[in-house]
Amino acid sequence: MIDQTIILPQPPPSDHSDNDMWLDERIWGHRLFEKQSAWLVFLECLTLADACHRDKKLLDHGTDYYPLHYRPQQRLYLRNILFNNEMLFQIAGRDHVSASAWKEWLAWMAENAKGVTPKDFSYLQSRFHSFADFAALVGMLRASAVESESNKRWSSRFVFPFGNEAIYEDLAVSHQDGVSREYINFGRAGELLYMMLARSSRAAQLIPMMTSALDGRNPWNTLLRLMQPEPPGETAWRGKSFLPYKAHPSFDRLAEDWLAIDRLKLPGFDAIPHLVTLSTLGLLLYELEVASDWANRARPHFVCEVVGPRKTLVREVSTQNYQENQLLPEEALKQAIKSLEESSDWQEALNDHGAFVKCKALIMDQFRWPDDEDYVGAHEPAALLKEFRRQAFARHKKSVANVHRAYGRDVGLVSKRGTNRLRYAPNDALLKALILANVDRRMEFNEFLERLCDRYGLIFGDKAGGKFLRKEDIDQSAFRTNAR
Amino acid sequence: MADSNASRWIRFLRQYGPAAQNDSMYDEQIRKVSKRLNVSQLFFTHPIEKQLLGLFEPTASVPTSVILTGTAGDGKSNLCGKVWHQLGGDAAEWDSPEIYFQITASIGGRQILVHMVRDLTGLPPTDDRGRYASKDELLQRLSSILFSSEPNEIFVLAANDGQLIETWRRLPPSEHVLQARAVFDKLLDENRDKVEGLALGFFHLSRLPSLTLLDLALNAFLAHPGWQACYAEADEAGFFGPRCPVRHNYELLLQPLVQKRLRSLMRLCDHSDLHIPIRRLLLLLTNAVLGHPDVKDWLLKPGDVAKVINDGTVAKASLFSNIFGGNLSDSRRDSLEVFDYLNRFRIGYETSNRVDNILIFGDADDNLKPYFDELMAADTFYGADASYYAAQRSYVEGGEDGDRAAEGFLALLVSQRRGLFFKIPAQLEDELKLWELTVFKYAGEYLTKVVDVLHGGGKVERPILARLVKGLNRVFVGMLVDVDRDLLLATSLSFSGPSVGQLLEDRIPVAARKDERIELTLLLGRPAIRVQLSEALAATLRLNLTRFEFLSRVAEGALPGSFSRECYEDFLAFKSQVLASLATRRAHEKSEDAGLSFKLLSVDQVGNVTDDVIEVVP
Repeated sequence: MIDQTIILPQPPPSDHSDNDMWLDERIWGHRLFEKQSAWLVFLECLTLADACHRDKKLLDHGTDYYPLHYRPQQRLYLRNILFNNEMLFQIAGRDHVSASAWKEWLAWMAENAKGVTPKDFSYLQSRFHSFADFAALVGMLRASAVESESNKRWSSRFVFPFGNEAIYEDLAVSHQDGVSREYINFGRAGELLYMMLARSSRAAQLIPMMTSALDGRNPWNTLLRLMQPEPPGETAWRGKSFLPYKAHPSFDRLAEDWLAIDRLKLPGFDAIPHLVTLSTLGLLLYELEVASDWANRARPHFVCEVVGPRKTLVREVSTQNYQENQLLPEEALKQAIKSLEESSDWQEALNDHGAFVKCKALIMDQFRWPDDEDYVGAHEPAALLKEFRRQAFARHKKSVANVHRAYGRDVGLVSKRGTNRLRYAPNDALLKALILANVDRRMEFNEFLERLCDRYGLIFGDKAGGKFLRKEDIDQSAFRTNAR
Repeated sequence: MADSNASRWIRFLRQYGPAAQNDSMYDEQIRKVSKRLNVSQLFFTHPIEKQLLGLFEPTASVPTSVILTGTAGDGKSNLCGKVWHQLGGDAAEWDSPEIYFQITASIGGRQILVHMVRDLTGLPPTDDRGRYASKDELLQRLSSILFSSEPNEIFVLAANDGQLIETWRRLPPSEHVLQARAVFDKLLDENRDKVEGLALGFFHLSRLPSLTLLDLALNAFLAHPGWQACYAEADEAGFFGPRCPVRHNYELLLQPLVQKRLRSLMRLCDHSDLHIPIRRLLLLLTNAVLGHPDVKDWLLKPGDVAKVINDGTVAKASLFSNIFGGNLSDSRRDSLEVFDYLNRFRIGYETSNRVDNILIFGDADDNLKPYFDELMAADTFYGADASYYAAQRSYVEGGEDGDRAAEGFLALLVSQRRGLFFKIPAQLEDELKLWELTVFKYAGEYLTKVVDVLHGGGKVERPILARLVKGLNRVFVGMLVDVDRDLLLATSLSFSGPSVGQLLEDRIPVAARKDERIELTLLLGRPAIRVQLSEALAATLRLNLTRFEFLSRVAEGALPGSFSRECYEDFLAFKSQVLASLATRRAHEKSEDAGLSFKLLSVDQVGNVTDDVIEVVP
């Protein structure tokens, strides 16, 4: 069972009045969002970090667990320049006289920019030698955008995180220039990630690393600053994300991984993709490890197939192992409901007059269900509980249940490669990230495998599994990468 | 015949062959059979033997413990046995299945107790004779002895290198255990055999060049008196007669050209970090001479020969195919690393138009005929025989059962190409592009113009370096650039992964300029490419055969991802390393802040690179 001492008080229901119930949230928080990609999780985490950094409390919140109020940047001038302005390249392409090109473009922006007042971009003209230079640099920045190949609307596109000037939140901008926070791309998983890091035992050690990433002493961050007016625009208060635990081993591991990557001092921004991968892997592990805590199960493990030319026994084992893990979060739900059912309160209520009303109140108290229209069945506790279970599982299946699969595929842990069934078959990028985070010196191969098993539950070949794996299947290039 | 010298020799030789064996009892088994059949073992002096035994002379300066490490078949137990013998140990005791031995001997003027562990993995957790309390205790004792100033006991320990580190990692940690582990790690890592001030001889047998071992094994194999017995007892119509494939294979192996090619392959294995232990080299030689796919254990016995000749399957015993394990079942071949390594050259499957034209049309084409005659017709044993001509004719003419005939002929071509690899004489190497018969078409150049030149203290010729730099540039920039005088350090805006470089960070000239230059050099005796950024800053990458081939192929137009992903990753990591050095150099230079400027890289249609500098007003 989960350690009760690490559980935080639940936030007031009024903070999350849109949530139909509070069951997944009770276990994993508000919220693990399965549709959020690893990169967007990472960027969302940075918006929170950036805001806290400006408020001088980066990763340092003491016992202020909830709510964590913060004011993320919106940077709409920058975003209009980078992502809402096809005209720029047309003008640069046909008009080679700088002055007239600037004039035409500024006029067009005054008409077409969205979500900013005033729609005046003339501050740019004095900062670049020519319009062509400006257009060339905008072109490069655009090309660096995170997930640039996906066809998102402009206000949900993100420039590469060169530093604080590149950090802003996901927004929807209406035709009437109304600006509102969107939870489609930034679905709060990144906020949970930030809180995990902040609540890890290594939080203080992470501060210098995070500070330097945000300060962004590099030409690109400077360039981004020059593309924005002073001050860079509006901000608004956010902060109803909820992480239910004060501490958890998964938070510490996550922070250790970040620190290990930092210690390598990789050139440029080379550390970032690995942090992205390891962070979302951390969320996945958090989901399953917390589930196993709740469900009274052993800590989950992951039998990984290293895909080789021939199918091996490991694939079968891995497929089955994947399916068991996939059901683990549901076990946690069952257990949470069961403990209510087995509680003395519930048992007493059953024997009481007005058992239904009392039982309903108990469910309402813990799980914020049902609202008036949620339940129309018979007025008796058993039926009520049955219906609650049904709705709870249905809701779970649409959200947290998918995190394991969605995050797993995104970080390269889960794959259908070479077959039609999902199992654990880590790809090169994931293996590389794991090596970088775990091998800090010459290490005997078995020691490395043991470490992966101890820290993450990843099983490549314990002594028994070892004979299934051929040496050449292991990604040697990644080892060399590390060995340098 | 059954008990003739020749017959006993061949029976003994089969012990070295590819039939499944109990690896851990290999040494004992060979010794036993040698004694039973009264045939001397294949014997040669191991390269480290003299040095090793010297440590146990009564006149040795200090009693020194020894660790013999390496992979299975490197000769660890064998060398232990020699130490035992020198110390006056009882031969019969050594022949017992015991793992742990003790003996007292005078070394360096003192009476020293010598503990011998001939196989760390097999060492029992406790000794039933009570000579040590537990395995852990024994190994802890070893650790302490290493650091004691005047020990009265020493150890001789044979262990697989991985197992050695693994075992010490699992020992209950004490100061000496941790120290010992650090020493082993360091010695393995830095490829050294001792640490100053420590009475320890550390012999890493897997680091010995396979070439050296092949030379020793080949000499011992060819010079064994057993072969003279074979000649003396030759049977005109069978074993060791003029049509006997065993005899022919043996004689082929005596030819300098065949030896030269085999040695080249071995050197290339060494330069690809593929180590072949002694046991497997002896297996290779035995299989090469005796191999035939249709007989028991895939090895010919004297009694099989007459039948093979009568059946007309002599060609299946070809040395050229046996060297690659062509006589073995797929699963047996795959399980033996020596054949796995040799087959990585894809000899038999790789070819050039010219070679195939000679093989297929050479007989009928006036221009090709001389080559065909020299390489194919002249070899009456494994060259063009009647069945080859027939298959070739039906392939060229396309008979009724065309597909099946073609298949048969293509299989023949594989073995003929293998034959050509060993038959093309030195003077035709360049003209017929010998190395295009392997997957590494630059391998010959790698050996003669890079490895040999560097070992001779020379400089690698300019065109080769230029080609490698061009290959590097294509990997670093991610576009088809043709620049070969500078190394282009290009990055994309974000991370320096396999994307296209849009920004030019710097150019490093190939010809020396101030402290900057690019050169091929030796790193621990192996070729490496070195990018020197300043007097103190350099990035170096080992250039093994595969990487050399990779850069050369990329320079001539291959796509980096399609030749070898592993190599591609290696070079991307190298780029990362060079960029990190560049960043360090910049940090040291502390140049006056020249404002904000960006060098945008563009490539024109002929592969030239230009950079446009954009400055921004801060």
